[in-house]
Amino acid sequence: MILEIAGLETGYGKLRVLSGVSLSIGAESVGLFGPNGAGKTTLINTIMGMNRVWKGSVRFEGRDIGGLPTHEVARAGIALVPQERELFPLMSVADNLALGAAFIPHVVSRKEELLEQVLALFPILKERYRQLAGTMSGGQQRQVAIGRALMANPKLLILDEPSLGLQPSIVAEVFERLGQLKKTVSILVTEQNVRESLRAVDRGLVLENGAIVIEGTAAELARNPHVERSYLGI
Amino acid sequence: MAVTRRTGILIVLCIAAAAIIIAWRPTVLIYGIQQAGLYAAIAIPMGLVLGIVHIVNLAHGEFMMVAAYATYFACKALGMDPLLAVLPAAAVTAGFGWIVFQLTIKRALKAPELNQLILTFGLGIVMSQGVNLLFTSQTRKISLDYVSASMDIGDLSFGIWSFVFVAVAVVYAYGLKFFLTRTTLGKAALAVGQNPRGAAIVGIDVNRVYGIVFALALALVGGMGALFITKAAIFPMVGAPFTMKSFCLVAVAGIGNIPGILGASVLLGLSESILRAFRETRGWADIVFFVLIIVVILGRSLKWSFPLKGRKA
Repeated sequence: MILEIAGLETGYGKLRVLSGVSLSIGAESVGLFGPNGAGKTTLINTIMGMNRVWKGSVRFEGRDIGGLPTHEVARAGIALVPQERELFPLMSVADNLALGAAFIPHVVSRKEELLEQVLALFPILKERYRQLAGTMSGGQQRQVAIGRALMANPKLLILDEPSLGLQPSIVAEVFERLGQLKKTVSILVTEQNVRESLRAVDRGLVLENGAIVIEGTAAELARNPHVERSYLGI
Repeated sequence: MAVTRRTGILIVLCIAAAAIIIAWRPTVLIYGIQQAGLYAAIAIPMGLVLGIVHIVNLAHGEFMMVAAYATYFACKALGMDPLLAVLPAAAVTAGFGWIVFQLTIKRALKAPELNQLILTFGLGIVMSQGVNLLFTSQTRKISLDYVSASMDIGDLSFGIWSFVFVAVAVVYAYGLKFFLTRTTLGKAALAVGQNPRGAAIVGIDVNRVYGIVFALALALVGGMGALFITKAAIFPMVGAPFTMKSFCLVAVAGIGNIPGILGASVLLGLSESILRAFRETRGWADIVFFVLIIVVILGRSLKWSFPLKGRKA
């Protein structure tokens, strides 16, 4: 297993958000679903070292990363595409992508090769290579954020609501790219667009009120009555 | 648009008035530019810290004062020329800045801005009063022959040493621009300044970058401290006006606009020089920066367009 989380409890101030979350991710793509406020982003922030672990453990490739700062988690091989993209708006696409690899020790020597792969995956970034990231559309910025994460050649790619704020045609494109990516990297993706993402992931987890309540393959989740009723609108 | 046109006319009239005065007394231009160089070289490091670390360092001038005192005593003890102390002073001030950052400023980065202002204001007081206690308020100066070097052009005679500050300001501005746009560490610093959370996500140690930028800024201030003593007498409160004027210049140029600080400094230097040229207005020279900052802030609030609004570094 690449990522193993056991009995994770965390929150903000005195507010407990996650209560005993356990999950594991191997060489696969996993969807994390749940309503607003269920704790999806909190779980991701905790994996990335932005939230303190109150109880339990977060292990990445067997190493406890629960107390590491964000930059060390990134250097260990986990790349995040945040909900708000978190680009460097006054820097070019080229610089945004270059910074994705510049501080990850095991990829610094391979950055040219990784750049070619990213530009092949997102041709629009090649066209807009010198454009300031902050001047691009939301969909293009999302592609820059995914490209920047891939420049780190991560072992685990985490995407937090990648379709948020995007028009349907772009959402389909993002999930198509995710489908291509899952062949080479483990993926954890949180989404509210459950129908679309169940087509792209191997397995799914449903997080409600700070705990995992349903777990299964994408096909199992698609047939689950609770998932059908609450997330697929059937 | 009407406001913009009126502002444009006002600026043209000011430039015309300045041109007439400068044509009448050319030394106004020369000393104005020299003064601008001094201001810019001191303000640029403050702009760097404000643009990337996002704190207003109200102890900025006091760091320069401490570097000037260290240079003074080192030169007196070793019989050395202050020019030879520029690099050591820069290195020592950078080290001092790194320690101050780690012990104090780092802990206030996530605090409200008012706490940061109080912290750096307090640091400034500790430094100026510490120097006052240790070395008294007596002014100190190193006399150097080359400082009085002058040049004659026709009937015009003027000192040339202060042009060194102009050169330093230009080197600082464009050296920093090169560092921030052409080096990996510089790009990381820009990234941290634009989005610290995004920077951490790509593996940049944000606190370390903040520390490096703060130390780099203080290295530049330290170097200026060593140069400052070649020209002026020092005393414990000598840094305070430079903190205020630096803040004024950074505010006029716009946060993160390091080359813009050069332009703003020329405006301030020339304004002061013009006022100093007349006995009746000489006393107003030291407060012209207040007028400048009020006009700029008022102008920005009313969305006037300013020629100094430039590109970001």
